[in-house]
Amino acid sequence: MVTDTDHPNRSTAEAASIAVSSSDSREVAAQRWIAEHGDVLWKFALARTRSKDAAEDIVQDTVLAAMQGFASFKGGSSERTWLLGIAAHKIADHFRRVRRTKSPATPAISPDATCMCATCRGMFTEKGMWACVASKWPDMKLSETEKAEQAEALRACIDALPPGQAEAVWLRDILGIPAGEVCKAMDLTDTNLWSRTHRARVALRSCLETKFGLRKDKRR
Amino acid sequence: MIRFARDMMRVLRTPCREHVALFCREHDAPLSRGEAFGLRVHIVYCGGCRRFREHLLHMRLLGHTLAQLAENEPGLPADVRERLNARVASASKKN
Repeated sequence: MVTDTDHPNRSTAEAASIAVSSSDSREVAAQRWIAEHGDVLWKFALARTRSKDAAEDIVQDTVLAAMQGFASFKGGSSERTWLLGIAAHKIADHFRRVRRTKSPATPAISPDATCMCATCRGMFTEKGMWACVASKWPDMKLSETEKAEQAEALRACIDALPPGQAEAVWLRDILGIPAGEVCKAMDLTDTNLWSRTHRARVALRSCLETKFGLRKDKRR
Repeated sequence: MIRFARDMMRVLRTPCREHVALFCREHDAPLSRGEAFGLRVHIVYCGGCRRFREHLLHMRLLGHTLAQLAENEPGLPADVRERLNARVASASKKN
């Protein structure tokens, strides 16, 4: 698990980087972002949207928004994480727009609620004890193809999460960005992030059980 | 020591729904020693929570595989890079 304490010297290094960055004109800075972080932003946007057009729009909006907010970047996170945080907001906006135009027959897998959400209610009794017998998942000692298939199932489940939750879980669990940096980049408190990732992971687990064909409604 | 015992007892007294929240939180922030120990004791006798924890670890491994798949995708295409640079130049001229 990567934690914020893994990077004790980051603040000093970033302070120097910001001092250099501040002297750049916004255009030069934006071109540098495209050169240095363009690939990462593109892969993030493409992995989430799976559309080259949408990914291009997101990277463009991210860079333009970063140019506007350049002065407000205080270096609480690395420059790359800051840009990824802006991209995460743009991706969430993209999915909100897409879902608004889609029919309501494709709901997100987890409603926006605390752990008393519908997903959890199915898992626990009223007293908060397990209601369903959890199934054993396929062993991780799988061939590369099987692993890739399961990872694609995970991706499909992440796609079905509500916007905001999906981006938070992608930054934390897929890109492995420390929680503190994700909070700063997405402008969330620790508690907000824990709540989002908790709901997302519970929902992802249920979704994967369905994908693996293991969903049981057996009561204890 | 008192804090350790208090945290551990609090965890042991709470229902599994709270343990699930702690297992998830453990991925984002370190738990106190008492909380972590309480969870370890709990999973000795609770099959549901033990399985849930296994599932979280499984999802982490799948996350690593997914990260590798995403990393292997080609980077920003040259034509998109050109368009982005042109858009940045025109945006900075406007301002």
